[in-house]
Amino acid sequence: MTGRALELLRIPLRMARRAGLIWGLSLAALVVLTVAFYPAFRDEPELSGIIESIPQPLVDAFGLSDFGTPAGFLRGNLYAVLVPLLMAVAGVILMNGQTAVDEDAGRMEVYLAQPVRRWSVFLGRAAGIVGWLLVIGVVMLAAQLASDAVFDVDIATERIVATVVLCTLLGVFHGAVAAAVAGWTGRPGVVLGVGLAIAVAGYIAIALFPISDVLEPWRHASPWDWALGGDPLASGTEAWRYLALGLPSLAIIALGAWGFGRRDVQAA
Amino acid sequence: MEVVAEQPLVIQGLTKRYGKVQAVRGIDLAVRAGEVFGFVGPNGAGKSTTIRCILDLLHPTSGKIRVFGLDPRRRGADIRERVAYVPGELRLPERLTGRQFLGSIGRLRRKFDRDRVAELANRFNLDLDRAIRHLSSGNRRKVTVLSAFLSDADLLILDEPTGGLDPLMQHEFIRLVRERQAAGATVFLSSHILSEVQSVADRLAVLRAGEIVASGTVNEVRGLARQRVEVWFETDAPTGLTQIPDVGEARIEGRRFTAVLTGSARPLIDALAGQPVESITIEEPDLEEAFLGLYQEAATS
Repeated sequence: MTGRALELLRIPLRMARRAGLIWGLSLAALVVLTVAFYPAFRDEPELSGIIESIPQPLVDAFGLSDFGTPAGFLRGNLYAVLVPLLMAVAGVILMNGQTAVDEDAGRMEVYLAQPVRRWSVFLGRAAGIVGWLLVIGVVMLAAQLASDAVFDVDIATERIVATVVLCTLLGVFHGAVAAAVAGWTGRPGVVLGVGLAIAVAGYIAIALFPISDVLEPWRHASPWDWALGGDPLASGTEAWRYLALGLPSLAIIALGAWGFGRRDVQAA
Repeated sequence: MEVVAEQPLVIQGLTKRYGKVQAVRGIDLAVRAGEVFGFVGPNGAGKSTTIRCILDLLHPTSGKIRVFGLDPRRRGADIRERVAYVPGELRLPERLTGRQFLGSIGRLRRKFDRDRVAELANRFNLDLDRAIRHLSSGNRRKVTVLSAFLSDADLLILDEPTGGLDPLMQHEFIRLVRERQAAGATVFLSSHILSEVQSVADRLAVLRAGEIVASGTVNEVRGLARQRVEVWFETDAPTGLTQIPDVGEARIEGRRFTAVLTGSARPLIDALAGQPVESITIEEPDLEEAFLGLYQEAATS
């Protein structure tokens, strides 16, 4: 890697440092606080009874099955909705901040006036945010593994790793979508709208489509299904799921960088 | 089109349209190696749009730009290797200190010289260790100026570079420009402040509403200027003076004749020859006034 490429990567890593740390520590706190309630849930068999009274499609939609088991507890409270959604939101917001928001505020111009290619500045920004999303994932994974040990949650480490990595990659995927929209439009509002809409649509597809026979097959179009469709907490994951999220993310980011090199930079 | 490879900047028929707004309407200019070229016009005349096209931040709607013989659309990064830019807007990364920001720019230019940064910061009396968001607009301006002058670019593109600087610092800035010029650099200096350009530019182009309305050396553009003339005679002023070409607003009040010179002074001087002239005053034209003249012309035509 040349000094220039390294600097283009360093810039977003430094600029997004505060936001990245806040996201990482918040998610870690969420994980620890949730897991801290596990002993109380485990010792309260009536909760399973309550969940049994809920219709099965809704139980599946909110990931509440096997709530009394460690896998079921973690899925229902964290990894069915909340963590993947927050990772997707983090991906969109952080990516937006280092691409469209910065461009729209006119702060990218001083860098684009340097002897570097337009697309490489953009790629550096996207790569820096992917880097931060990976850091957030690692921080969350560490918090999960530590609190599992402290609160006696008996679950295989490789399933936790697979789940957190898949949620992180879901965040990367949504960050990539944000990057593509930013690359082609440079408009922060559009990036946020499209990014969050895709995150919510993806969740609806895996949560509610299974209820309808007509829509059911379409759940597989959702990135959420690629990430979590195999129930990684209960049964681990297949290797292709990492690729199914990672490779399109790289392609989508490249598409954004290409678009960014072709259009006018937004004037402040 | 013939372009000398080493000609720093040639623009031919440049237009730029944003939606329905035609920001630049066909600009032609050529900047020669080693000169300071003034690019003058009021805010919104299209100066920054033209500059953004030169840097390949914007793509021209039509027309040709060549920087050292290269097309910004194809060779933008190669061009920017030889070009340094002071943006008109002070949009900078807020959380970084001046030193961090300049270090970053220096590494991107592969010409980061700690001593040079320290020397320039000292000349401009800038504290490099404060976060940019805590700096006044004058100090933020210094940061942008330093970012352009810390590398030895062959072409400096300066967009309203002294806005916010106090007179002492403006003077220091002009010295810096002259130093770079003496070292062989070419300077493209945009401004809406005419005095700033008048004192430092070799040639200039005056831009108004996306078109060049005057260009040439500072003296030539001054030739377009309106100059006030006042003549006192020993006796009553001769009435024929009101009929002279290039003389407008002629008024006679007893021994005093006043007028505005709109072109060459020669017809008036010829007419005055042999007359009992007691004193004559022709005011030094200010480009500001030249400019206003151009504005009125453009507005009435």
